[in-house]
Amino acid sequence: MKRIIYLFAGLVFILSGCRKKLELSNPNLQTTADFWKTREQAYAGSTAIYNALTVDGTYMRSFPGLTDSRGDDFTGDSPWLDLVLTGEFIIPSTSAPVFWIWRDHYLIVNRANQVLEHVSKYPESVLSTQEKNRILGQAYFLRGLAYYNLATTFKIVPVITKVAETPEDYFAATATEDDLWNQIISDLKAAEANLPISYANVDGLDKGEIGRATQGAASGLLGKAYLYRKDYTNAGAQFQKFFTGGPLAGVYSLMQDYRDNFRDFKENNAESLFEVQFTEGQGSDINWCCDPTASWKQVQAISVTYGMEGAGFSDYLPTRWIYNEYKKEKTVDGKDDPRMLVTIASYEPADNSVLAYTRPWWNPDTAIYPRKYTNDGVGNGKTTEVAAQSGINYRVLRYADILLMYAEVLNEQNKTPEAYSYIQQVRDRARLPDLATVKPGMTQAQMRDQLAHERALEFAIEGQRINDLIRWGWFYDPAKLAELKSHDRDFNSWTPGKEYLPIPQGELDVNKNLKPNPANG
Amino acid sequence: MKEVSSFLIVIVMLAICQSALAQGKITGLVKDSVGNPVKGATIKVKNKKIFTTSGEDGGFSIAASPGEALQVSSVGYEPVEVVAGNGAVMISLKGKATSLDDVVVIGYGTQRKKDLTGAVSTVNMADARKYTTNDMSQLLQGRAAGVAVNSDGQPGAVPSVRIRGFSTFGGFQPFYVVDGVPGAGIRDLSPNDIESMTVLKDASAAAIYGAAAANGVVIVTTRTGRKNTPMKLTYNGYYGVDKIWQKQKVTDRVQYQTLNNESRVNAGKTPFPANDPTNPGYVSNINTDWQKEGMKTGIRQNHNVSMSGGGPNSTYNFALDYYDQKGTFVGNGPDYKRYTARINTSAEKGILKVGEFFNYTHSHENTLTFRDDILLGGIPPMIGSLVVAIPTMPVRDSTLLNGFGGSNSEFNGANSLNAIGINSILVNWVDVDRTFGNAYAELKLINGGGHHLRFKTSVSYDKTVTRDYTWQPPFFLGKFFSKPDAELYDNSRVFTNASIENTLNYDKIFGKHSVEVLVGQSYRYGSFVERDAHAKGFTAPYYPVINSGATNSSKGWQTENALESYFGRVNYSYDDRYLLSASLRRDGSSRFAPSNQYGYFPAASVGWKLSNEKFWHVPVNIVSSLKLRGSYGKLGNQEIGDYQFQGTINPGVVYTFAGNFYTGALQTLVASPDIKWETKTISNAGFDATLLNGRLDFSAEYYYAKSTDVLVGITIPASTGFENLNPTINAATLRNSGLEFTVAWHQHKGEFTYDISANLSTVSNKVLRLGGSDAPIYGVGAKTAIGQEVGQHFGYVYDGLFKDQADINSHATQFGGLALKPGDVKYKDISGPNGKPDGVIDAYDRTYLGSGIPKFNYGLSISAGYKRFDLAISASGSAKFLINSRMYRDLHHSAGALNYSTDMMNRWTPTHTNTDIPRLNDDDANNMQDSNRPGWLQNGTYLRINTLSLGYTLRDNLIKGIASARVYATVQNLYSFQGYKGYNPDFTSGVFNPGFDFGSYPKPRTMLIGVQVSF
Repeated sequence: MKRIIYLFAGLVFILSGCRKKLELSNPNLQTTADFWKTREQAYAGSTAIYNALTVDGTYMRSFPGLTDSRGDDFTGDSPWLDLVLTGEFIIPSTSAPVFWIWRDHYLIVNRANQVLEHVSKYPESVLSTQEKNRILGQAYFLRGLAYYNLATTFKIVPVITKVAETPEDYFAATATEDDLWNQIISDLKAAEANLPISYANVDGLDKGEIGRATQGAASGLLGKAYLYRKDYTNAGAQFQKFFTGGPLAGVYSLMQDYRDNFRDFKENNAESLFEVQFTEGQGSDINWCCDPTASWKQVQAISVTYGMEGAGFSDYLPTRWIYNEYKKEKTVDGKDDPRMLVTIASYEPADNSVLAYTRPWWNPDTAIYPRKYTNDGVGNGKTTEVAAQSGINYRVLRYADILLMYAEVLNEQNKTPEAYSYIQQVRDRARLPDLATVKPGMTQAQMRDQLAHERALEFAIEGQRINDLIRWGWFYDPAKLAELKSHDRDFNSWTPGKEYLPIPQGELDVNKNLKPNPANG
Repeated sequence: MKEVSSFLIVIVMLAICQSALAQGKITGLVKDSVGNPVKGATIKVKNKKIFTTSGEDGGFSIAASPGEALQVSSVGYEPVEVVAGNGAVMISLKGKATSLDDVVVIGYGTQRKKDLTGAVSTVNMADARKYTTNDMSQLLQGRAAGVAVNSDGQPGAVPSVRIRGFSTFGGFQPFYVVDGVPGAGIRDLSPNDIESMTVLKDASAAAIYGAAAANGVVIVTTRTGRKNTPMKLTYNGYYGVDKIWQKQKVTDRVQYQTLNNESRVNAGKTPFPANDPTNPGYVSNINTDWQKEGMKTGIRQNHNVSMSGGGPNSTYNFALDYYDQKGTFVGNGPDYKRYTARINTSAEKGILKVGEFFNYTHSHENTLTFRDDILLGGIPPMIGSLVVAIPTMPVRDSTLLNGFGGSNSEFNGANSLNAIGINSILVNWVDVDRTFGNAYAELKLINGGGHHLRFKTSVSYDKTVTRDYTWQPPFFLGKFFSKPDAELYDNSRVFTNASIENTLNYDKIFGKHSVEVLVGQSYRYGSFVERDAHAKGFTAPYYPVINSGATNSSKGWQTENALESYFGRVNYSYDDRYLLSASLRRDGSSRFAPSNQYGYFPAASVGWKLSNEKFWHVPVNIVSSLKLRGSYGKLGNQEIGDYQFQGTINPGVVYTFAGNFYTGALQTLVASPDIKWETKTISNAGFDATLLNGRLDFSAEYYYAKSTDVLVGITIPASTGFENLNPTINAATLRNSGLEFTVAWHQHKGEFTYDISANLSTVSNKVLRLGGSDAPIYGVGAKTAIGQEVGQHFGYVYDGLFKDQADINSHATQFGGLALKPGDVKYKDISGPNGKPDGVIDAYDRTYLGSGIPKFNYGLSISAGYKRFDLAISASGSAKFLINSRMYRDLHHSAGALNYSTDMMNRWTPTHTNTDIPRLNDDDANNMQDSNRPGWLQNGTYLRINTLSLGYTLRDNLIKGIASARVYATVQNLYSFQGYKGYNPDFTSGVFNPGFDFGSYPKPRTMLIGVQVSF
């Protein structure tokens, strides 16, 4: 009997070696536990963050669209009601594109958090400090950019800086507006400190990888964030870095041809601080959303969305106000502002503009359409838009913005006369006369209006106007609001708080820690 | 056992002593009804104290004289009395249909039914086998209380089996154990090879299977040979025809055109050309009866040959089986054909016994194509498309690519799928090859002094390889249903399961104490490999193999899982009055993170045989036996995908730098690291009684089961930044409770004998938690929310039809101010954003409209014998639930262009207002809403007569060379008493809309004849 028990015990002991066999690992994919070990994986992680810039809710379509449509320079004209209602400031919180913007910006956040958490632990022996700093710097920059977009779009959102560890972490609480901006500033500071001015000669696998975030991108966006928060001292200090004596002096300059900023063959040029890379011809599946695969395309759908009737979906139209605004001031040659026909497609025989998409103008002579970010007039030979097949990069930050923002800082710091020269650099490219001559000695208030005008023309349909209107407080200035209403009928239906997009209802339903924002009211 | 045999020896010795005093000797042979010898039967001379027992070969010799009556009895058989003649006495014993002396197969052993303390149901296989099916899980229908079987009617259909309610949101099928091999699929086994089926329903019975047992356990044993039996060759076969006996009443051409035109005109539109008599394109010469054209007579046949027998130390059983079912739908399927070969053998020498079984199956199934990727999404299963096709579409049209007719939305106003056409064009089949074997060795380590200790080791291997083939030639059946280019899908799946189990069994009887102990260990491994090939770019003439496509692509993946377990059980009884059973199992599963890998599943039960107490004075002819029992324990469920706890890296996260393409990588999908077992805790109480001298058996029980940590996909915020926002976590809690009754009446005296057994069970279900934010889960017209039962019908409340404009004006606006007219459906304004009626009918006005889960399930079976005739009837059904039928609703559309039910001729018109069928309106967005309008939710209560079988057994050796023969005729699915207007009230469905019939295939009425012959 005993012998048998020993025998059995022995058998059980031998068989309990099976325990190891319970630890079965997924044979199809690498697990998170096995990843973040090699130098290549650190780079692959950083590349993957950028991918989240190229989906519907970020720069592929809906974020530029829903941001532009809320400006007084742009209005919805689509059977897709969400696009129209957003412009009219009455978009319901259940809107799908609003949700996509939210969802896809948090993709950036989550991916940046993964890189920050894991790459920071890399030993020097695997990844050199310089390489590590650059990878971390990019993650900080992209997270800062995501929060900047979320803050300007939704006002208050949760600030998530760590990878969720437990299911409780999934339900992040809304942060205060101050905490949100502090995070943006701290991320961009960290990015600025870690990023190179250029990747042309770095020592690492990223050598020559144009399109990765640079120090200039971080410095510029940080300045813009300070400006949004009306911290003129810090904003000014940031912008000064681009000028004589600063670390970024001489790195950036305005392109001679304004249109180069919207061409697919003049990308990553001297004026561009940061842009989202889109490419035609790669992959087979359109990069709208969802779990990415190696067969994804790298295209944007802004071109087809904005493209005129008969070439694109014509989901939006420029307002008559912005058209007229361009007509207000002639160039030194007595012509119309050349930026108008880059921004707006219009039949202008006087300006020798009688074509659209290289074809004779076919729409009503009086109709105007968006041209910026479409393939119309770009010079790439396209005769129409094809759904989701545009490779024009989206320019997130241009040197022209640095110049005009610095001018604004100077004006706000009561150094109005000093602002003239920075504005004039931008006007010169548009061949507009010397501002100091045509409008000398402006008061601070006059200069504010002048800057608003200059910015409207330079940055129309570039996702800037609504954010400028919000930060200047125009919605809550009755005179300015009346002006906006006269620019764009959409503003008649605006009610306080609705200048932001509402926090998506589905998120509020599922996350009790999330607070509604003023646009949910 | 030892004591029993000692007792028998004493009796035999006594008999021998007695025989010395007798004048003569009678010899004889005791056999069972199929001719096998019965050993150990007691033979007694009537009115004398002379008795003996039969030997191994059933033979006996007893001191008696011709003319004296012999009383013969044996455990498990009806006692008989015969008068001895001059020659040898041939005694045939008939098995008791239901008897507490029956031995029941339980987990890792057997137990006498009268000693059971858990909730266990046995299936009477002799009766159940009279139902012909390709899938033996169907045999459980109506035969065990608490077991609900739903199934569609096409060849190759996969029934769904639910034991005791809705206790999980994931896989709900029970765990099958075949000849001791845990987790074996039963789909490829032949019902002819099955000896017994036992259903373990409560924790006490099932906890020995631990983590796998939460959905209940079905133990299957297969037929084996008997020792000391000459080889017996048996042939079983039947041949039958299948006919669809239910017909949906749909409109003919004239009626259809009338209704369609009216719907157009009511919407302010012009009739479609095909329906407009004034149009040159008017169709007047096509009037297709799609059901008549698309349905044919099916055929089913089954042939089984088995050879079994055994020597003094060995047994064997070889069986070959062929099952062939040709379906009732015109075109390439559904058909199902299966070849099975099976070998069971055993041999023993001294303390060693070895045995094995080996099963090989090949099946070929032509499936009825329902592929969203080839056809358009949203269309119903083929049978639905057939029924709702418009009568003005021709079946054949030689002008179209494939010679089959189609429809055109501009011309016919309809995009009807020609189901006959598509089913004739697509070639779509699955080949399955399964090899399933098991070998065991058993050592009787101790067999003396009342101690019995056995060690058994058992290994099994089960491999299934499938080839899933779809050839889609270019086809054109109207513009919605066309594919200009040929495509070929040639996929393969390989399932492997292997297990090893080691057990030690010990038993001993000490005086009044009887103890049985089991300890064991088990390791199971499973893997799955899928390899898919796809090709396109074929040119005619077509060679539908992957290589002949201009471009081809492939994909594949694989998964593995393992389960490691230790278990033990003690059964104890005292004085045949008090029974106790306790078991514990520890399982480790690879599907969970190492910290959550192990689970413990304990259970205990007690039984009290009241009728064996001294104080019990109820006469035996009123209450023969009464046992009370109760149990409590925990079971697990791990039926989820592999690796869900592991975060994985997406290697294809692309971006462009400097114009070059880069693939980045990181985690894009959220994992569920804390995922663990679902746990089901069951309390069970019941009693078993035998009444009226064994004529009536009655059992009743109550169970209360709470499933906690139920795995459910919960919605998480998008701010997590992952791509999948529905990870599976242990979040829900479900409660099920119910009563189960089983009653059986036996009449075994005289020439007319019969058994009637019936069972009834109730189900009550409630969702206690859903996890996360406890957001409700919506199914088709159904909602699952906290405090409610799973998948209740959900929608608007019907409030009649609008009588006139004033009625419309005074009523709440419906669905954002739809333009309504008299004859449209009026819905009740029951709530609003503030919880009060608000004059607006919108999503707030939806409410629960009734249950989709039957409250009662019942089964009835009758078997009777008169002389050489035998008759069997079985019926089953469910009651108290409502069905939402997609097909019925499609036929009652008021917008769109499908065919109509003839009921629609009774629709509301300004001159015919006395009806509850709303007006026709081609722009309708009002009447089709999920609601309880008449007909939308139908009473599902039904009773189906599953089998009616009449057999005749020929006299033994009537035909030279044939030992015994029985011929029979069976009608299967004779009739269904049902109010439901679709085909099957017992359709298969999704868990979150159990009452939604998407389009189940009708069950044909089968008429078959068969023979059973032994040589």
